[in-house]
Amino acid sequence: MTEKIKLMSHLVAGYPTDDLAFRAAQALVSGGTSILEIQLPFSDPSADGPLIQTACTQVLARGYKVADGLAFISKIRKEFPHVTIYLMSYGSLIYTPGVANFCKKAAAAGVNGMIIPDLPFDHDEGLTENCRKNGMVNIPVAAPSMAEKRLDKLANAGFPYIYAALRTGITGRQTAISGSTLSFLEKVKSGGSKVYGGFGIYNGEQARSLASAVEAVVAGSVFVKIIAQNQNNPELMEKELTEKARELSNS
Amino acid sequence: MTASSDGFFGQYGGKYVTEVLRRPLDELQASFDFYMKDAAFLEELHVIQRDYIGRETPLCFAPRATELLGGAPIYIKLEGLANTGAHKINNAIGQCLLAKKMGKTRIIAETGAGQHGLATAAACAKLGLSCTVYMGEIDVRRQQPNVAAMELYGAKVQPVTSGSRTLKDAVNEAMRDWAANFEDTHYVLGSALGPAPFPDMVREFQAVIGKEVEKQCAERNIEIGAMVACVGGGSNSIGFFSPFLEKKEIRLVGAEAGGIGPGKGENASRMCGTAARDGILQGYKSRFLLDEDGQALPTRSISAGLDYCGIGPQLAALGRAGRIEFTSILDREALEAVSFFAKNEGILFALESAHAGAAAMKLAKEVPSGKAIIINMSGRGDKDVFITSPVFRPEAWGQFLRSEIERLDSNKDIHETTVLGGCLK
Repeated sequence: MTEKIKLMSHLVAGYPTDDLAFRAAQALVSGGTSILEIQLPFSDPSADGPLIQTACTQVLARGYKVADGLAFISKIRKEFPHVTIYLMSYGSLIYTPGVANFCKKAAAAGVNGMIIPDLPFDHDEGLTENCRKNGMVNIPVAAPSMAEKRLDKLANAGFPYIYAALRTGITGRQTAISGSTLSFLEKVKSGGSKVYGGFGIYNGEQARSLASAVEAVVAGSVFVKIIAQNQNNPELMEKELTEKARELSNS
Repeated sequence: MTASSDGFFGQYGGKYVTEVLRRPLDELQASFDFYMKDAAFLEELHVIQRDYIGRETPLCFAPRATELLGGAPIYIKLEGLANTGAHKINNAIGQCLLAKKMGKTRIIAETGAGQHGLATAAACAKLGLSCTVYMGEIDVRRQQPNVAAMELYGAKVQPVTSGSRTLKDAVNEAMRDWAANFEDTHYVLGSALGPAPFPDMVREFQAVIGKEVEKQCAERNIEIGAMVACVGGGSNSIGFFSPFLEKKEIRLVGAEAGGIGPGKGENASRMCGTAARDGILQGYKSRFLLDEDGQALPTRSISAGLDYCGIGPQLAALGRAGRIEFTSILDREALEAVSFFAKNEGILFALESAHAGAAAMKLAKEVPSGKAIIINMSGRGDKDVFITSPVFRPEAWGQFLRSEIERLDSNKDIHETTVLGGCLK
């Protein structure tokens, strides 16, 4: 398969510095990224593995606020008017300032959609509605361990997009793309939603075997790892991010 | 508000988790509902409670404390006499037995003071389950005796180095483990918080405390004026209060950690003071110490078990509704209470439970005469020797530690070690 694969690349806002995070975003886009998933650092990222967790802790230790994260997103929005931007974070940061208030600010910063895995799709504190009011989409996260009935309910709840976590557990460990992964994706799509598939995507082979089953392939920890390892060598960081994004997007 | 309605206690509670955790929680709910009506399960639990935990625990009259405080007669529920030294075993045994019925072979738990970890480690040893306990690195340091005991029970103690390295971070780490391993693993949450069904389940397994108090008071014609318990996440307090929630004539008082003062980061008071707000964290909606963005704020308390930024949703709801009163106790006041009850009653409170003791000391004169104050001594203070010794006997303690290190380094038997002289009185 030689076709370009739509790639959603994840990065942590402000990690390791505002400047380097911005350069990382540029490198990911020049490597063929179509969608940026930008994570706002939270003190208790319970769905994330050690890599992303450490990144978040490090950014917060600088006194980083949500406003700084939204300013970072605004800057990326201006630089890349055509890249889709999704904001990923946890319910606490959305609920505490008020869901309506938060969504308004996020939309103003240029966010197109929200991924908040600990606000359940059927009890989301008004997230879906407030996203809609502000021209964004709420993107719920499905997991392969979901009970049949619940997965069916999610697939038929009318969400334009669903993020499918391709295995149970937390972010960061490599996932094998198997027949059961593909049949899970079929179920997620069964109500007409488009599906983003990720969790443990590290190489082009995985991306290619997933590509035809999803709207976009999502990769996160692989990039965070490159950023973490090359904090002191920005040029190498950019080069490796671009190359990895090219590999995953087949471009 | 004696139980949740679909996981909610009024405005608080819920199941705010990723879909990965949804299935284990739903399965747990179903099994819990089933076994709590299963006579064979309840009988097995009862026998373990009687023969292994050592129930019922005594309700002890405190005559000198009563006289010295000059008010209501004071009774102490000696929950710290339960096997492993605290109330935590009630819930640990209940959940481990349930997990075994569900076919789980591995148990994980979080712990703050180490009492819940210790109880879970013991319950696993008793019931033949493998056990891993997540414990914040700071708590590992301040509660070494419990770490040592957990290892003796065969548990693996996993220090948590992320975030603030205390209880909250141990909960996150246990959640991560569970999300990856729920097929064979049960997560024994130790407090009446987290996503449903934990708040209901932990309360039910801890309600044995309150039910015994009810029975003991009826047998001895004790008329209760007020009941006092310390509140971290809230497992001992909600279990102690549970049968009395509808008896409005009885005052129910929760003692929170006042730490070193009212400032931000100086305490762990969620219901007193102005620092807390409604939030969603660690799977439930409740009152939390959060900043304006929703980030968890640092907390502080001399007692590891109360050093947590959230409170169980049922307690928060009952507090907001005015049914439970909350008061904040400073580290200093808790230490004074440890000393007061040790010297006058021969009862050594854990630092956590000493917050309840201190609150009762303040309350003694407010309760109408003839009506009793019942304090829940949720744990005993043996485990706190590394914290209380530097306060109560700093020099002798320092000398002991130095000589002990010297002895270990030189590999000497205790009989051959340096004579400490007359200072260890």
